Amino acid sequence: MKVGIISFAHGHAYGYAQALTQIEGVEIAGIADDEKDRGQKVAEQFNTTHYVDYHELLEQPVEAVVITSENSNHYQHVVAAANKGKHILCEKPIASNLEDAKSMIAVCKEHNVILQTAFPVRFNTPIANAKKVIESGELGNIIAMKGTNRGTNPGGWFVDKAKSGGGAVIDHTVHVVDIMRWYTGAEVKEVYAEVDNMISDYDIDDCGLLTMEFDNNMFATLDCSWSRNKNYPTWGDVTLEIIGSNGTLAVDAFAQKTNVYSNDGTQWNFWGDNMDQALVEDFITTVREKKSPSITGEDGLRALEVAMAAYESSEKKQPVAILN
Amino acid sequence: MLHTLVIGAGTMGSTHANAYSKMKDVHLAGIVGVNYSKASQLAETLGTKAFHTYEEAVKELDAIDAVSICLPTPLHKEYVKKVADNGSHVICEKPLARSLSDARDMISYCKEKGVKLFAGHVVRFFPEYVQAKQLIAENKIGNPAVVRTTRGGGFPNASNDWYANFNNSGGLILDMVIHDFDYLRWCFGEVDRVYAKSSRGRVYVKVEYALVTLRFKSGVIAHVEGTWAHQNFTTKFEFAGRDGIIEYDSSKVAPVVANTNVSTSDGGVAVPESPLKDNPYYKELEHFIHCIQTDEEPIVTAEDAYKAMEISLAALESIEKGKPVVMDSKGKESIR
Repeated sequence: MKVGIISFAHGHAYGYAQALTQIEGVEIAGIADDEKDRGQKVAEQFNTTHYVDYHELLEQPVEAVVITSENSNHYQHVVAAANKGKHILCEKPIASNLEDAKSMIAVCKEHNVILQTAFPVRFNTPIANAKKVIESGELGNIIAMKGTNRGTNPGGWFVDKAKSGGGAVIDHTVHVVDIMRWYTGAEVKEVYAEVDNMISDYDIDDCGLLTMEFDNNMFATLDCSWSRNKNYPTWGDVTLEIIGSNGTLAVDAFAQKTNVYSNDGTQWNFWGDNMDQALVEDFITTVREKKSPSITGEDGLRALEVAMAAYESSEKKQPVAILN
Repeated sequence: MLHTLVIGAGTMGSTHANAYSKMKDVHLAGIVGVNYSKASQLAETLGTKAFHTYEEAVKELDAIDAVSICLPTPLHKEYVKKVADNGSHVICEKPLARSLSDARDMISYCKEKGVKLFAGHVVRFFPEYVQAKQLIAENKIGNPAVVRTTRGGGFPNASNDWYANFNNSGGLILDMVIHDFDYLRWCFGEVDRVYAKSSRGRVYVKVEYALVTLRFKSGVIAHVEGTWAHQNFTTKFEFAGRDGIIEYDSSKVAPVVANTNVSTSDGGVAVPESPLKDNPYYKELEHFIHCIQTDEEPIVTAEDAYKAMEISLAALESIEKGKPVVMDSKGKESIR
């Protein structure tokens, strides 16, 4: 199977490209990147062709594309790829605004191509195992969930609102909201959030604390702040604690680590399973078997709606309802 | 020599009595307990007298300089007033009262009677919390931005199961999370608004769980977790600032761990312990005694205890209404 990659603007592109090289029968047929230097370097690294213009890549006989451009460019890249009949794995957040996300889903449906949102955390082994515990019913009724997805401020286009659509809240809300929905099958119906810019000098939100009410009588909070400083031993975290009527469950996606103390400082080195590999393999299998994707465009949209409601709530200082 | 009396022979009464019995300048004159056998057992261990009622203690004892009130919250007001009437200083367990009007009444009454009123917000005497506040004040992490606290464990067991009666105890938010509200207010000043959700009305098993967001006037965003839905008692905090992070998790602090071999199939039982020469309750009570002796202003005042209650009650109101509660308007209401 020939696969293309559109843009290496998002760092996850490297992980996904690496994952593609590990799958038998898959070839990275080309990459498109309008940043010439980056594109050439990457093409060399993955032994493939570099196209400056993504339309040229879409002219090639590739079956599927991975889209890892800036959030605001997802729309044009997804629409162009769908028009050419390519199946799509699109980086999260699905878009920089809700209108784009909805159009992208509609266009992909119209052209009958797969649109999968890249939520790799679903493929983290501890996160996936925790789902089995919840489904076993041993926790009783789920009362509440407490999530964190803290990180380091990535800088670059992530802090340019025109390209990203927002800062920490759009970047880090979507992963954990997706997991909460996936764990329970419930939808968020109301969001309250405190959002601010108190950590970095960049003019973009870097502090976010969301409280959510779900349609299954469960509530949850999520800390999505870019609050890890440069000397923190790792980039960030994904954790969830689930409170049930019969017990509790704590899951830490990146607890599988060794602590390394070198003269350069302290580092937590992760040694757990590679979730990017599992995500990409799942996508390729979906394309090969012409299945419906495990994580849909709608899943991407639902998570984005929560992030957008958080911005609105913080602005209004009131809870905001999400009407599906 | 300062003569103290402890009213209540439950968990907190026993803690106060133990602390007084170890202090050099303090004489533990007696312990009052409605459960007399419990009180007399404790009194015997500590070499003091047990009484059925406060009135009996007053009649029999020559001098009572200070009284610790370690009773269920709804009884605080009645006993604070009784003790103040007798001219003894009052050390009252938190929360001061179930309602703000009762708390205000207690504060005014003690002022009128010329006795001091202290509130047992003991977290201000836990060394890990004291150190974190100091580090923040020293600008070690720059301007604080997003902070998180956790407190809780299993549902508390007490006489007549009084914690389970929300009208009496105010539940988790008024009884326990108030510790973190007081501590955070000590660190970051006044709260602007409160938004909270809890398990109340969602489940009908004996657990309680709450997640509270505080927005401080300084801008700090706080996530406060309170739980009576867990297994082992744990406290945690994390302060993320512009230039750094301070984190603490009591479950990871186990300097002494004893493991016993048990012949059953489920193995041994580990009992972790984090020992200090003087526990935080001792430090707190020693400080209050010092304030009585020297007339110094305490680290935590009755007014602070009132303010912490305001935050707790705002959180309860937010849970009830599903809306954020702005504190300024609360202040005005309580003046009326």
